[in-house]
Amino acid sequence: MFKYIDCIDAGSPYCPCELASKGECIICSQLHGKEFCDCLNWKGTCIYQEFLWNGCKSKKIREFKKFKIEKREYFREDILKLDIKVNKELSRDLNNIGAFVFLKNEKDAEFFSTPISILNSDIETDIITVVIKREGIKSKALFECEDEILVKGPYFNGIQGQKYLNELKNNSCLILSRGIASAPAVLAAKKLKINKNEVYVFLDRGRSRQNFSKPYFLSLGCIVEDVSFLNTDGELKYEYKKQIEQLIKKWNFKTVLSAGSDDFHEKVINFIYGIDKYINFATVNNSTMCCGEGICGSCIIKGRNNVKIRACKQQYNPKEVFLRGI
Amino acid sequence: MKVVVIGGGWSGCAAALEAKKCGADVLLIERTDMLLGLGNVGGIMRNNGRYTAAQEMIELGGGDLFELADKCARHKNVEFPGHKHATLYDVIKMEPTVRRYLLEKNINILFEARVVDVELERNSIKGIYLYDGTFIEGDVFIETTGSTGPMGNCLRYGKGCSMCILRCPSYGPRISISKRAGVEDILGMRGDDSYGAMSGSCKLNKESLSDEIRESLERDGVYIIEIPKEDVNLEKLNMKVCQQYALKEFAENIVLLDTGHAKLMTSYYPLEKLRKIPGFENVRFEDPYSGGKANSIRYLSMAPRDNSMKVTGVDNLFVGGEKSGLFVGHTEAFPTTLRQ
Ligand SMILES: Cc1cc2nc3c(=O)[nH]c(=O)nc-3n(C[C@H](O)[C@H](O)[C@H](O)COP(=O)(O)OP(=O)(O)OC[C@H]3O[C@@H](n4cnc5c(N)ncnc54)[C@H](O)[C@@H]3O)c2cc1C
Ligand code: FES
Repeated sequence: MFKYIDCIDAGSPYCPCELASKGECIICSQLHGKEFCDCLNWKGTCIYQEFLWNGCKSKKIREFKKFKIEKREYFREDILKLDIKVNKELSRDLNNIGAFVFLKNEKDAEFFSTPISILNSDIETDIITVVIKREGIKSKALFECEDEILVKGPYFNGIQGQKYLNELKNNSCLILSRGIASAPAVLAAKKLKINKNEVYVFLDRGRSRQNFSKPYFLSLGCIVEDVSFLNTDGELKYEYKKQIEQLIKKWNFKTVLSAGSDDFHEKVINFIYGIDKYINFATVNNSTMCCGEGICGSCIIKGRNNVKIRACKQQYNPKEVFLRGI
Repeated sequence: MKVVVIGGGWSGCAAALEAKKCGADVLLIERTDMLLGLGNVGGIMRNNGRYTAAQEMIELGGGDLFELADKCARHKNVEFPGHKHATLYDVIKMEPTVRRYLLEKNINILFEARVVDVELERNSIKGIYLYDGTFIEGDVFIETTGSTGPMGNCLRYGKGCSMCILRCPSYGPRISISKRAGVEDILGMRGDDSYGAMSGSCKLNKESLSDEIRESLERDGVYIIEIPKEDVNLEKLNMKVCQQYALKEFAENIVLLDTGHAKLMTSYYPLEKLRKIPGFENVRFEDPYSGGKANSIRYLSMAPRDNSMKVTGVDNLFVGGEKSGLFVGHTEAFPTTLRQ
């Protein structure tokens, strides 16, 4: 299988990062303890050159900045939407597939910082929209933010397999979405639409009457179908399997975006691979993250041959991670 | 049989041609938009022993490329320090000529297609992957990716990227295919224990030289002028790839050859110093663009192989040109692949 390795920050203003200065760069062999070039993914700049010309130091690290909360709205008692007014630079950067930020209440300590996906970034008004589900300690702390909030960003690795979404032009894409993970799928759909793709969304309504993201998908011009994917055993229901199979035959999707939990990704990918093994997948990144800079290791998952993947920075082919028995 | 040639330099072109003559279905894959690789900035043929080599190859029936190079000659029978009866081909005419010739022979060529990985099945290569994940199967693979660069190597072992004809930033770095197949590269070592060697010549824009120099270059093919004593740098010779041009005469004189551009027989030359020389007041570099500072680093990737040019440890991978050993020139790049 094609070894798809990428660092989402490679070649960006945040590259080389601390990994490079410690000899752990994901892409560059010379910055990974080797003496010769064996570049794993060329993005148009030489990371080693950037490192040397930057005085053998890493570039600046992203820092928290305080921004105003323009609007708070509850979609459900445990689902909160925030509109945050940020600056021009950040709103532009965050208007990209897979964009996310770390959020934190000013009064809380550093380790409360929580990765949250961008649902929309309006580059006219510089307002970013995020949706937070109350789950654990960190998200609870964010519910307490009233007027202001600390934002650190931009980060870009909120969706894995971005390559397969970016390469779609005048094509079609299927999004299977469930729960809070539909927020990054909305931003992905926006970009897919700009590239003149038809976007077909199967949206799980969960406990609510409809998923909070439905109006967003509709306003983008996506075709949306309300579903309830799982049966009582937690398996994909037969009726939707049939429907998905028919849709795939009809639309010939090259890429499917799975926007749910890792468990959901696994079910979706294995099922669809069984229908057509050439379909590519993109998945919403659910890894537990703490630093977002590749340092703390909390996001590390195992890929093929048990290789470690720092999921906060590294892009992988979702098939390598979620497909069983290959 | 499907033969996939990786790298469209002189040796890749020679390999593709020869495989085609043997009746194979041939695909030549090149990462840039041009064939010939370093051959786009060379030009010297038939100097000294290479004359015999060229004649022998022609007699043996493998002379196509030598004859094309003769056809593109700007000058024949040129003499310069240490070298006799050289032919200088026109680097501007050479690439399109070879390209048309290969296409006429029905060789398929993929441009702007960088090979990044291989799929192995036991000790054989089943296929290769292009940068975008495209999988290409084949029966036999010939690696002719050269041994130059990429940027990080030119930086660590040289004086940084000099923006040479390989254009790494635009087309992505050279990759050692044999290494991706699990075979460690052999490296060239310099006298001082460091690796690689610097390309030994650069090119000046001919229009930027005085009329007198340009006329004499175009008439004789060669122009020689003494370097001011204070600027002579003998040390630079040690860094050179082509030790046949590492003679004192090349450190004490500016030796220019007419290959379409004015080929300057030294690795690099600070522009400020160069402009002190009479007739060079307006001079600028044509290749590498930063020839005032540096040149490309070579010999950082050679595959261990047997005498049939097969890579040790891989059943269906062959190598040619610089990738197959310390072969320093065009003349050597042709036959290393013809043997296969
Ligand atoms: C400035 C300069 C002047 C020279 N002058 C002369 C001269 O006058 N006379 C002489 O005889 N010799 C000269 N030489 C030496 C001569 O050019 C080389 O030895 C010879 O051309 C090497 O040929 P090659 O095919 O082995 O490698 P290269 O020419 O390096 O070709 C390798 C090719 O492979 C491609 N490639 C690399 N990686 C990949 C990949 N992963 N996927 C696809 N493609 C890939 C490259 O783009 C390139 O086109 C000169 C060299 C230089 C640098
Ligand atoms: S979140 Fe810290 S290493 Fe990835």
